[in-house]
Amino acid sequence: MVVKVLALCGLILSSSVFAGHDQLLIERVNAKFSYSWLALDKTIKAHNYKAAYLQRCDFAMNERHYKSDKYRILFFGKYDEMKLMSKKYPEMTPFFPLKITVMEEGTHSLLIATPPIALLPLVKTNKDRMTIFRWNEDMQSILSQVKSQYK
Amino acid sequence: MKSKLILIALFVPLLSFSGGQEIYSENCEKCHGFSQHGSIGLPLYRSTIANHSDGYLKKTIRHGRPGRIMPGFNLSEAQTAKLIRFLRAGIKAPIYTSEPIVGDIDSGKYTYEQYCLRCHGTELQGGEGTGKNFSWQKDREVSPPALSNSGFLAAAEDQMIKRIIMKGIKDTEMMSFEKEFNFTDKMANDLVAYIRSHQKPVSTHHISEIADEPLVFIYESGHDLATTTDRLRDSAAAYNFRVYPSRTLFEGFEEAAKEDQKQVVIRFCNFKNMKNFLKLDPRLGVILPCRATVIEGEDGKVRIYLENYMHAIERFNNEQISSEAKTLIDNMKEMVEEAVW
Repeated sequence: MVVKVLALCGLILSSSVFAGHDQLLIERVNAKFSYSWLALDKTIKAHNYKAAYLQRCDFAMNERHYKSDKYRILFFGKYDEMKLMSKKYPEMTPFFPLKITVMEEGTHSLLIATPPIALLPLVKTNKDRMTIFRWNEDMQSILSQVKSQYK
Repeated sequence: MKSKLILIALFVPLLSFSGGQEIYSENCEKCHGFSQHGSIGLPLYRSTIANHSDGYLKKTIRHGRPGRIMPGFNLSEAQTAKLIRFLRAGIKAPIYTSEPIVGDIDSGKYTYEQYCLRCHGTELQGGEGTGKNFSWQKDREVSPPALSNSGFLAAAEDQMIKRIIMKGIKDTEMMSFEKEFNFTDKMANDLVAYIRSHQKPVSTHHISEIADEPLVFIYESGHDLATTTDRLRDSAAAYNFRVYPSRTLFEGFEEAAKEDQKQVVIRFCNFKNMKNFLKLDPRLGVILPCRATVIEGEDGKVRIYLENYMHAIERFNNEQISSEAKTLIDNMKEMVEEAVW
């Protein structure tokens, strides 16, 4: 009986976890920038994506009245898929590679990304739509896994 | 049987609390912080929540603050109730009547200009930027709320606005005007009437103002690839952008020798603009750095692809950044037009 009650509790608890507003993909990570950055790099690789390069946006930010100067963008993606897409739909190239922004806020970090499903209007076949949906799911999974590493 | 009842009795309060925490964690903590101390969103201090009725919180969750970052959330009644219970953390909800407060709008306007304008702005538009941003040392700890916001006015009862004016909000910069400036009942009523006069209908569905605009602007160049990239770099510099070294589109994915040299990314940035935009919204990074892609197609034609950043910016739900970005994007379009001309 106790097991049944516990199972019921678990079911009710899990049903309360739902998707809310998802225009921008955002996750707050309970770790400082350097830890989040490393976790992001590892998680991206674990999802079979390749991190290509980073863009620093932290040039002298702390001299410009910002408390933190930890602000970087990681560019990544699945090269073969993006290469095919860019040949087929060159208008997608401004959105390649995919990217995730990492910024530090006190003892936390924020991971922010534009959802890849924003690219859906640019593709014409169901196969390509499925690829974009998969990128979107992977992006959400990456953010959520980085967050869960520092709960 | 008795032990089963005890077990259930022990779990019921835990369930109601945990449900709210899960909902907060899923939807709210990314902006309001792990401990509700604020970040991109305003702090949700218990002393602040103590001023708000359940009805106000429900409507705020449902409608958000159009144009002021906070989106509306499509939660069920049960989920909303759990979330509110979690935010209250045992503090009793105040009850306000829905009866409107009658006051003199002109007198209220005068009072507003004397006492409130400095923080809440000439058009009641609130302070600049996001709720509370740890990343940037603002002159205020919290950005003053927009009193004219349709989401706020749809949620707030007149009695609540009056109470906050008279009593202030503990732990915030909103002082008690009754205590500090000897506000009378009439002054508060007039002020409430003036604030209420800004009410507009709140839209339940977000209507995009740029839905018909393309996601990408495409420009055909009359020049070859090398000349087009050179001209684009020169044009960007002439428009006061700092231009970074160019990259191939997929640099870092394969050996440099194998990179497709016919897909070139020109990256540029105007630091002054970037600083201003970061003040308004720290999430700006999702569109950085500004860039244009120059591609020589299989047909031999050279085209420049420029993202229409307004679509990305619209996701911020931030009117201030949307209006300022439009000028910048128009400049970028002119910059590219000059390069391909």
